[in-house]
Amino acid sequence: MILSTIRNALAAIHPEKIFETDYARKGFSLDVTVSADRIEEAVAVVDQNGFFIETITGVDWLGEKAAQQKEAAAKVAEKADAGAEDAATGKDEPLAPGAGNQVEPLVDDMEVIYDFNHYSDFCRVVIRVRIPRNAPKLKTISKIYPAALWHERETHDFFGIKFTGHPYLVPLLLPEDADFHPLLKDFNK
Amino acid sequence: MKAFAPNQSNETFVLNLGPQHPATHGVLRIKLVMDGEYIVEAEPVLGYIHRMHEKMGENRTWAQFLPNTGRMDYLHALAYNHCYVSVVERANGIEVAERAEYIRVITSELNRISSHLLWFGAFVLDLGGFSPLLYAFDDREHILDLLETVTGSRLTYCYFRFGGVCNDIDENFVAGARAFITRMRERMPMYHALVTKNIILMKRLQEIGPVSAEMCRKYGATGPVARGSGINFDVRKHEPFSIYSQLDFDVPVYPQGDSMARYMVRMDEIEQSLRIIEQGLEKLPDGPVIAPKIPKTLKPAKGDYYHAVETARGSFGIRAVSDGTNTPYRLKLRTPSYSNLILFGEACRGMLLPDALALLGSLDLVIPEIDR
Amino acid sequence: MGTQDIQPPVVHFAQLDKLLALCRANSLWPMTFGLACCAIEMMATGASRFDLARFGAEVFRPSPRQSDVMIVTGTISKKMAPAIETLYDQMPEPKWVIAMGNCAISGGPFVFEGQYSIVEGAHNLFPVDVIIPGCPPRPEALIEGILALEEKMTGHRRWPRVEAG
Repeated sequence: MILSTIRNALAAIHPEKIFETDYARKGFSLDVTVSADRIEEAVAVVDQNGFFIETITGVDWLGEKAAQQKEAAAKVAEKADAGAEDAATGKDEPLAPGAGNQVEPLVDDMEVIYDFNHYSDFCRVVIRVRIPRNAPKLKTISKIYPAALWHERETHDFFGIKFTGHPYLVPLLLPEDADFHPLLKDFNK
Repeated sequence: MKAFAPNQSNETFVLNLGPQHPATHGVLRIKLVMDGEYIVEAEPVLGYIHRMHEKMGENRTWAQFLPNTGRMDYLHALAYNHCYVSVVERANGIEVAERAEYIRVITSELNRISSHLLWFGAFVLDLGGFSPLLYAFDDREHILDLLETVTGSRLTYCYFRFGGVCNDIDENFVAGARAFITRMRERMPMYHALVTKNIILMKRLQEIGPVSAEMCRKYGATGPVARGSGINFDVRKHEPFSIYSQLDFDVPVYPQGDSMARYMVRMDEIEQSLRIIEQGLEKLPDGPVIAPKIPKTLKPAKGDYYHAVETARGSFGIRAVSDGTNTPYRLKLRTPSYSNLILFGEACRGMLLPDALALLGSLDLVIPEIDR
Repeated sequence: MGTQDIQPPVVHFAQLDKLLALCRANSLWPMTFGLACCAIEMMATGASRFDLARFGAEVFRPSPRQSDVMIVTGTISKKMAPAIETLYDQMPEPKWVIAMGNCAISGGPFVFEGQYSIVEGAHNLFPVDVIIPGCPPRPEALIEGILALEEKMTGHRRWPRVEAG
């Protein structure tokens, strides 16, 4: 079964997260999150197992960390209320670390999603990488899959992600002199 | 194969092909470095019809994006409709009405035949033969008449809805489709005798533009381009969606990898599509054509979803990232012509310019879906 | 660039002008200028069922230097706009432009707030003579547009207008 083969092969390079997903619900079989410095290794493993590259997607998660913090603060407030009631009975809930104490500005992420598929066996593999939004850099995989030459150019066009080692990172879909990145969430033109 | 190793001391010049050119099937520009008549390097330049579909995906609700799907690849628009409604149905857990599944497959396969007929006419026109275009367009008009009665449009269809289709088909459509199948089966031998066995076409296509299976894998090529290189990959068999698993059809695969193989794959696919339509019409159940109780505003659960369909050009996939609101957070459209075109740069090295145009025609590109 | 001032002729030959206009109207040579979806309907108009050859207009010239009328079919992107202007300038006088489809008229369905890539209508680049709305317009609509252009050139309409109803 190619799914278990590729799962074991990818688990061997110590990704951040790896789990199987329900194909009928999500449309892919294996979901892997790696750190930005491991992307070449992960893609090499996938290539050795005979997969082909479907596409590379970029996602701009502007505002995600602020929203998560708000949620966490709301949960803490709920717990604090519950704690105030329980204090009379002796229970004491510790406050979440850092709540209400945020000083540094939040730096959101951009996510780059690599989709792989196999011609003969039924298995779709998704590899995710998160990079900081204010300095988006990622190593290119175009030496392994030449299709990435275009997929990465397009992702660079739309999000401004710099793929280090890419031999020709010029605009693909936008005009040659374009200096804007339209799919960023704070793009206003 | 007439390839040659370019001598770097020879003088080369840069030739610009397009963006307005009769043989580029849209606004594609290719920067060619030529040594006489031979191509040393080719660099496709895109973006001349970039219509911001992915940006519009973020500015429109899930339902408002439907018309865009018909305009990406307007030749097989129903398959693109199909992929989009399927990914939204997958994200929301909507079950499609059974009659609608059959109608979707029947109309989508009719659309596939009309796309292949147009490809056939335009391809042979590129190679210099004008008459097959007129025959192919005549057949295509029959399909367009049929589809117009149910969808209302001739080209950029927006017929599918979440949970089904928007209009039912009637006996006239069924009778018309059966008559078309008979007609097309009578016409195919004529096409083969007139065009496929034509000595000029065979000389123009055999051993021209070889694409190996490993090249297909490295570039992510799918569809007739991959099947013409011996790779047996068809999303309808590999990841069956809709009711394709219940229908009996073959997937034509030719191992040679040249333009003739890709041509033959598409001609055989027309016959296979006729088989699918026949079976679909026979097994068509009664019932509603849209699922009951579809919510007016769709708010899929957070997360990302993927769905792929087999279009006339290859595997079309949509990655929909949802943040739980009624507009998509990110809609990534993975179009087959994009991946098929990337291998042109490597495949056409050392070829004569007319042979490169034969290769380009055999890749069956639609430029608006490359530029999105 | 775009609009040029052509000096009116000093000597007018009334009947000859009428004859020239009639000849030009009945043998309009369009330029193959398909950008997007409307191009397919233009091809269908030139093909077997709708047959633009009846009106003398089936000779699609790839070169602008040999064509009379540029049928702009499809969306004009900002990257493509300089190429289109060059093509328009390369056409010899007298020349006409038909804007076919909603995209060529006003940007079509691709106009939204924050759009960054298309030119909203061919009239922003050069003067347009006939507009044919539709997305895409039917081949009969394109034929009607050609007839309207002929009427503009000669002053007469080839066939009487059919009243609706």
